[in-house]
Amino acid sequence: MKHAIIHFFICFNCIVCFAQSKPVNEGQSDTSKLYALVAGGSKGIGYGIAEALAKRGYNLILIARHLDTLQAAKNKLESKYPIHVEVLAIDLSFDSSADQIAKWCTNRNIHLKVLCNVAGLGGANDYLSFPLDSLRYMVRLNIESCMALSLTLLPLLEKNAPSYILNVASMAGFAPIPVKNMYSATKSAVVFFSYSLRYQLKDKHISVSCLCPGPVFTKPEIVKDTKAKLGWFGMKMALDPGTVGEVAVKKTFKKKLIIVPGTLAKISSSIIRFLPRRWVVSLYGSAGKKKSK
Amino acid sequence: MSWALVAGGSKGIGFSIAEALAKRKYNLLLVARNHDDLSDAKKILEKNFNIEVETLPCDLSLSESVTKISNWCTAKGFKINILCNVAGSGGSKDFPELPLNDLKTLISVNLESTLTLSLALIPQLKINAPSYILNVGSLAGFAPIPIKNVYSSVKSAIHSFSYSLRYILKPDKISVSCLCPGPVFTKPSIEKETIDQMGWLGKLMAIEPGLVGELAVRGMLGHKMIIVPGKMATLISYVLRLFPGQFIAYIIYYFRKQNKIRK
Repeated sequence: MKHAIIHFFICFNCIVCFAQSKPVNEGQSDTSKLYALVAGGSKGIGYGIAEALAKRGYNLILIARHLDTLQAAKNKLESKYPIHVEVLAIDLSFDSSADQIAKWCTNRNIHLKVLCNVAGLGGANDYLSFPLDSLRYMVRLNIESCMALSLTLLPLLEKNAPSYILNVASMAGFAPIPVKNMYSATKSAVVFFSYSLRYQLKDKHISVSCLCPGPVFTKPEIVKDTKAKLGWFGMKMALDPGTVGEVAVKKTFKKKLIIVPGTLAKISSSIIRFLPRRWVVSLYGSAGKKKSK
Repeated sequence: MSWALVAGGSKGIGFSIAEALAKRKYNLLLVARNHDDLSDAKKILEKNFNIEVETLPCDLSLSESVTKISNWCTAKGFKINILCNVAGSGGSKDFPELPLNDLKTLISVNLESTLTLSLALIPQLKINAPSYILNVGSLAGFAPIPIKNVYSSVKSAIHSFSYSLRYILKPDKISVSCLCPGPVFTKPSIEKETIDQMGWLGKLMAIEPGLVGELAVRGMLGHKMIIVPGKMATLISYVLRLFPGQFIAYIIYYFRKQNKIRK
């Protein structure tokens, strides 16, 4: 009986996927005036996404905390691709940031076509050992900034419809990971937000996608951490930020809702989503314990 | 004497949880925004049950409140072994008409206060173990609801947080539960909204506030992880959990659209 139910859902998912993958033109006609905003675009996955957008001829607005990394990203992108890159050094966890960014864009009459909410923070053992302010910072950066930016930039995106929103969550958003408690809780909110937002903005011709990558090797610590916790399986599943960015942008323009780059990650993510959450928690928990021994 | 802290305990679900705890002879610490509501609740509880009730008025959407509460508990030497994070608000507006400030309050009251208050009080709960944490999620936290987007996203974070926290705190003998009620008619406006949005199904799922508290406390003390009060709500919760999120979101979107066309 259980098998029959699981089978039914796999079939159902396939139907949903096929129904979605209608051929769509990638909106490449004239991108010389069109802009894409990447929040958290100076490094890591954000930079990978920015590069994939630059390849398609979009001008970029990059937002991050530090001006020097932003400037480096700008120089690299402008020398490689014939586009214009604007940079804004803003801490997205501040209350005023979303308003500030929206005002900046409106004043310059930016033709905003794509909004990518990439900025986010994660780490191991991120609850019991964390100070209260770090918890708040994580909630503000991972959830609030994504919701607030989508809200304040909505009028601009609506004006330039059809347009695209890409939120970056994580595979951790599909099921709770005890050692990454805060991270997976906040990312689960981003996944839910994207699901609902897609239908709320459907009539406005704004397509919402959600990138849920497995491990991505953006920093040497992550390589070490993945190897220790998930072993060979994690190493096989992991991808580099460039590939993730390219897949994310390609699928965003195809209006796909949940984007999981990599075959192995895709398979694991669908298994995680089917299993009861309780099981996944103890599974993740035992993997964490192996590491501490 | 053991104490139970109920954040958001002056009215609604919080008050009914407080009542169920009072019945079991726990002394109560009630935290809420409104001073008058708090003293009303204190009067009722002290009169009906032979317990002590202490109150602290503070706004949980402000970040200094958590430190204020934990300092108050240590200063007065309350031996807390139950923490109920009930404070929350549904918000009547949603994306895309939601004002930015409402968004921020929704996140800070529903999510941030639960995360920070639990963290601040875990040391005290550890000392008084075995103890209990009860977070209040929602049926909306099981699947994305496009008409209550921010609310259901934030509640899903609460669910995920509770699952992980339960696992982390197991060795410390702190049991974590998550209450996931369907519609509870704590205010006339909620009753109207539910019937507007969900019709007969909403009416069937609904449960009275008094009963929710009793079932929640019973589940919490029985070390249950997910507590869904009411038979119909339990059934719906399985449906929501079983189907893919995209499917649920689509169904709700589709019926909303049909309703709008009919109107």
